[in-house]
Amino acid sequence: MENIKKSRISMSTHEAIWGYVFLLPWILGMIFFVGGPIIASLILSFCEWDLIQPPKFVGLENYIKMFTSDKRFWASLYNTFYYTVFSVPLGIIGSIVVALLMNQKWKTVRLLRTIYYLPSVTAGVASAIIWMWLFNPDFGLINYALSLFGIKGPLWLADETWSKPALIIMSLWGVGGNMIIYLAGLQGIPQQLYEAAEIDGAGMWGKFRHITIPMLTPVIFFNLIMSIVWSFQIFTQVYVMTGGQGGPADSTLVLVLYIYQHAFKFHNMGYASALAWILFIIILIFTLIQFKFAGGWVHYEGELKK
Amino acid sequence: MDETKRISFWESKRKQNFIINWILYVIAWAGALIFVIPLVWMIVTSLKTPEEIFTIPPKWIPISTITLKYDLNIKSQRDGIPEFSKRDDGTRIITIDNFHHVIPESATILVKKKIKITKGQVIATMPKQGIVKIIEHADKTKTLQVVDEKGALIKQYQLPENIKLFVKDGDIVKPGTKLVRINPQWQNYVKAWAPEALDETFNRYLLNTIIITVFGITGVLLSSTIVAYAFARFRFPGRDFLFILMISTMMIPVQVTMIPTFILFKYLGWIDTFAPLIVPTYFGGGAFNIFLMRQFFMTIPYELDDAAKIDGCNYFQIFSIILLPLVKPALATVAIFGFVYNWNDFLNPLIYLNSTSNYTLALGLQTFTTMYGTDYNLMMAASTIVLLPILIVFFFGQRYFIEGVATSGLKG
Repeated sequence: MENIKKSRISMSTHEAIWGYVFLLPWILGMIFFVGGPIIASLILSFCEWDLIQPPKFVGLENYIKMFTSDKRFWASLYNTFYYTVFSVPLGIIGSIVVALLMNQKWKTVRLLRTIYYLPSVTAGVASAIIWMWLFNPDFGLINYALSLFGIKGPLWLADETWSKPALIIMSLWGVGGNMIIYLAGLQGIPQQLYEAAEIDGAGMWGKFRHITIPMLTPVIFFNLIMSIVWSFQIFTQVYVMTGGQGGPADSTLVLVLYIYQHAFKFHNMGYASALAWILFIIILIFTLIQFKFAGGWVHYEGELKK
Repeated sequence: MDETKRISFWESKRKQNFIINWILYVIAWAGALIFVIPLVWMIVTSLKTPEEIFTIPPKWIPISTITLKYDLNIKSQRDGIPEFSKRDDGTRIITIDNFHHVIPESATILVKKKIKITKGQVIATMPKQGIVKIIEHADKTKTLQVVDEKGALIKQYQLPENIKLFVKDGDIVKPGTKLVRINPQWQNYVKAWAPEALDETFNRYLLNTIIITVFGITGVLLSSTIVAYAFARFRFPGRDFLFILMISTMMIPVQVTMIPTFILFKYLGWIDTFAPLIVPTYFGGGAFNIFLMRQFFMTIPYELDDAAKIDGCNYFQIFSIILLPLVKPALATVAIFGFVYNWNDFLNPLIYLNSTSNYTLALGLQTFTTMYGTDYNLMMAASTIVLLPILIVFFFGQRYFIEGVATSGLKG
């Protein structure tokens, strides 16, 4: 009896040790590439450092400068919020609408899904270049299409007021990625729920409003958080389309581009770290707010959770 | 009575649904068309000549025909007394009331000095026909000239490589004659692959990208499966806390860790090498991938592990012999996502790679656009080159993409 107990304890200790062993790569990664750098960047944000002279502690100076006298910081904050406020809700609505369409029983629906999903895997430099060409004011397809309706298209990326809408339009091209997630969510809704609702006399809208949307809320919630996190980090498109400048007149200078410029063009490592921390805090606040209000609208169906 | 009423009601409802279904179907296809247009337009543009790019309305088929075109009569645009001047290239200028009429060498001038001209009056006539002269250049392009019998130039066309001539040297042509058909410019791809304005060719970028991608995917696969195995199959103190910690790292913007990590790699002397892009993948492989793998491991019954244990397998053998073969689809998903991530990644190569010989495709492509800012045909050819492998992988591995996105997004 005693022996068995002993071996059982040693078994579970044995298991725990091996668990940590297998976890080791991640633990090391957490220390060297996540945790360590986060702390280091917090410390750096209170310093001034050009990578040549030794770092100099300056206290809150970076943050004070940022909030009181750095107009480009405010511009980058405004641009990033502008982009997020439009691209995230439009993206979520767009991907749900497409997912609803792709949930129909059509013969060509697989082909349609492929077409809608494809652009989300081509995201990067190449698609930014394609959109530069589409947005070309004189010979681009978009302004040509507008001209068919008698509208004279704007200068898009060369125009301060239209450069951000251009980025938002481009972001909608990638709704296919989230569409797949919603589609899987839709297909997970038990058919009995719809049948029951039909018996109760619910129409198409009623079923959508009282079954589809509530059942999708956990997926929407997850997506909302990740979409905001990602949209605050927009960089590649802007860098490629504006040659790393964020122009015209800083109208597309987003926060990450500004961080990049300070860190790797002006070599202000301290200031760039402070900017990165502001980005981090904003994302953190947004995520926490969403978790706080999640109870009000996110509907978890006990049965569905496996 | 009541019965028939009910039937017609159902019938009308069915009819209504049928119409709605068709409307949705048309909307879905219209949307799909809009979604596919950018990629189609990329390929179409990549096959055009510089002249064909800048046409309104846009041409959807990269084939065009050049027809000989000139007005037989050159008319005055203004009232006034003409002034004459000559240019070096043989053309002449007749200026009437500050409006310059350019008269080709081959045209015959009909007006004289000091005689007043009214608007619309014919001031010169062009020859009714011309002779074709074709000049071949060393770079395979041609110049097609149409000259009059004295050899004076009527019209001139610069022709790209891939053409079909409808006329030959010495042919007599009139306005309206079809001269040449310009075919899809496949050589744009050759030009984009080895751009004259850059030090490196896409050979190099492709090789670099493949090296980074292969080692990156290997790292992600090795470490994410091992870590996911630990999270899915072992009981140890702090496991759930560590798991939540891992999930929450997905919300940390990379920019927060980017600067200290850069400094770390700088001290290690790894700047301008592939190491900063590859080595971190061996330390966990990313929260998303670990999560995905864990979800898959969880679907495999524990009994398999227990049976293997009884057979004398150790933990590593259970992992590699029993479990790994069962999560092959998940491995494929992680590999494919890793491929797409590495292929498209721009920020990391931008930060860590300095010399052009180390550039990845994404960086090379970006540099290409800064050098060839208006050559949209070449830019689109280069973009197609970069996207093609992704498109191929996508078509063959579509299933894994969709499964991967669905599992990770849903169970999150």
